[in-house]
Amino acid sequence: MMQPPIASLKGSMLLLLVAVLLSAAGIFWSGKQDSGARAALQQQQTAFNAARARQQQGQTEARLIAQHLDAYHDLIARGFVGEENRLAWIEAVQLANRDARLYGLSYTLSPRAAAPAALASGLPLNQTRMVVKMPLLVETDLPRFVAALRARAPGVFRVDRCRLSRISDAPPQPINQPEIDAECELLWFTVAAGGQEAGK
Amino acid sequence: MFDRRLILLATPRQIGVLDWRPGNMHWLGEYSASEAGLTAFRQLLLGHPNLPVLLVADTVDEDYRSEILPHVQGRARDELLERKLKQVFRNARFTGSWRQAREKLGRRDDRYLLATLTDGDWLVPWITLLHREQVPLYGITPMAMACQHLLARLKVPEQHVLLACRFSNGLRLSYYYDGLLRFSRLIGADTPNQLAGNAADEIAKTQLYLTGQRILPREARLHVLLLDTNGQLDSAQSALNADPAFSTRLVDLHSLTRALRIPEDFLAATPEIAPLAAIAGESLQLNLAPRELLRRHSEFRWRQGLNMAAGVVAAAGLTISAAYWLNAQGLHEQAVQLQAETRREELRHAAVVKDFPALTTRPDELGPTLALATQLSRMPLDFNALFEPLGQALAVNPQIVVKSLTLQESAEGMAEVTLDARLADFDGNYRAAMARIDNLVAQLAAAPGVTTVERVSSPVNTAPTATLSGKTLGEIAPEESHFTLSLQLRTSS
Repeated sequence: MMQPPIASLKGSMLLLLVAVLLSAAGIFWSGKQDSGARAALQQQQTAFNAARARQQQGQTEARLIAQHLDAYHDLIARGFVGEENRLAWIEAVQLANRDARLYGLSYTLSPRAAAPAALASGLPLNQTRMVVKMPLLVETDLPRFVAALRARAPGVFRVDRCRLSRISDAPPQPINQPEIDAECELLWFTVAAGGQEAGK
Repeated sequence: MFDRRLILLATPRQIGVLDWRPGNMHWLGEYSASEAGLTAFRQLLLGHPNLPVLLVADTVDEDYRSEILPHVQGRARDELLERKLKQVFRNARFTGSWRQAREKLGRRDDRYLLATLTDGDWLVPWITLLHREQVPLYGITPMAMACQHLLARLKVPEQHVLLACRFSNGLRLSYYYDGLLRFSRLIGADTPNQLAGNAADEIAKTQLYLTGQRILPREARLHVLLLDTNGQLDSAQSALNADPAFSTRLVDLHSLTRALRIPEDFLAATPEIAPLAAIAGESLQLNLAPRELLRRHSEFRWRQGLNMAAGVVAAAGLTISAAYWLNAQGLHEQAVQLQAETRREELRHAAVVKDFPALTTRPDELGPTLALATQLSRMPLDFNALFEPLGQALAVNPQIVVKSLTLQESAEGMAEVTLDARLADFDGNYRAAMARIDNLVAQLAAAPGVTTVERVSSPVNTAPTATLSGKTLGEIAPEESHFTLSLQLRTSS
């Protein structure tokens, strides 16, 4: 083929140029529409997934509430959930001492602190240490006291440590006289309510 | 549509026009070489604008030369052929060359067929008209080349073939070697000896001429194809077959129409269409048109290419745009559906949570809180279980006086008991005291629930690494028998 006669091909070249420009513009515009629609769909998919997850979580929570609400209210009533009730604890140890027919006691409550993480199982668990000192006639008075306290205790507690020591070095006498000093460390547990962190 | 073209059959007396496209053709008529004919032809061209045109010249004023030329390419070949054409045909205007084959031996030169219209003056009015009307003429080729394509359509296997065609313009005798044109001549219709019986003589003369010119080998047997739809060459067949130098075959109208795939009545009305139809769709091998006459066609090709490119680009752009747009619409519909689904999920969630009671904690913490309360409520220290083995051991060892007892949870399910004690009746005999303590340790270790018993302190430390001091004077204090034991017990909880 000969050299292209540019002058006589202006119309065709212009037509080709217009076709190229229009095609490029069309592809650009429709591509933008496509990518916009794709992004909108992706966004909608994310919103749908979140809504479905929320809905499923709501179902699960409804089931959990129906299953545990009564027991949870009991825990609130007992003082395990919410603020600590020191007055009730003091009354409980006094009453337990009386129920066990013991000879009185002295107590010391430490400031509330966060429970060890291994014990808390991820919940805002607090513990308050109570040291109880009381005289005992025989060693078995101690389990009786603990059993009485458990019956009286409004909250949840554990006996962490107990020390029994003989008051005098004399041999045991057959009279109703305490011969053993008991010192027990009790841990009263509370779970902070309303999203509070432990130890606050 | 893109392959449509006009094939002109030009003779000194007239010009015929075939409107051809693949699978379809129309004979548009003949126009005499007169003023009226030229005017009518111009009108025809105006009615068929922008169609490429091939002019097939059927004239007695033509010449063919076979030449062996050195094998060169590119511009060198063009210059070589230009020089050769000028040398052979002098100042003829319509000349052309066709590189037919390459020699297999020697220098492997190229074999060319050079051709010309020795008198092209009769063509000038037609060419001028084509040029004036800016018709894209893409070639001028001799009728013998059109007949070569007709021969190819007929699938003749013989090596030396003489095709004898009788059309309105006369009897054309063309010699083909291996299907490639070597020589052709036209005996015009106005020649006096155009009787049917003379065709055999003309063929015999042509054979002698070809042999004489060494175009046809002497020993070669010439296969003659007689093509005449009017049957005027039938008589020549018997005359030629009598000569052993020939083998002759008549090509009837039926086999011709079958080879060309055109209707029989159409071909019978205008037999000249046969070679035109054969060459119409083929690429042009021998072009006699000067370069300047082909400029319009070059423009036409460029324009057609650019327009096609524009069409392809536009179609591709439209297709891709449509595909994108349709896909975007589909995605949009999916998004709308998802939006409705999302709304439904939100309504379901709202319906569920509206009945939730006011809680001080998250619902998912209810279960763990209850489990924690249950776990913490279990007493790790079961005093009765701890006192039992101690009581049993101390009961059989009444000489042991317990001073203090410390109980503490050591690990999950285990308790550590620290026992501070002394001997009730220690007389200073450390050996006996140690024996009693050992006895107590042994009994404790054997008690159920006790896992280990360790002596923390003893009345006398006999370890080789310890400093040991004491006295044997004065009274023996009971405190000197003091000892401490540490026990690990399994708790019932």
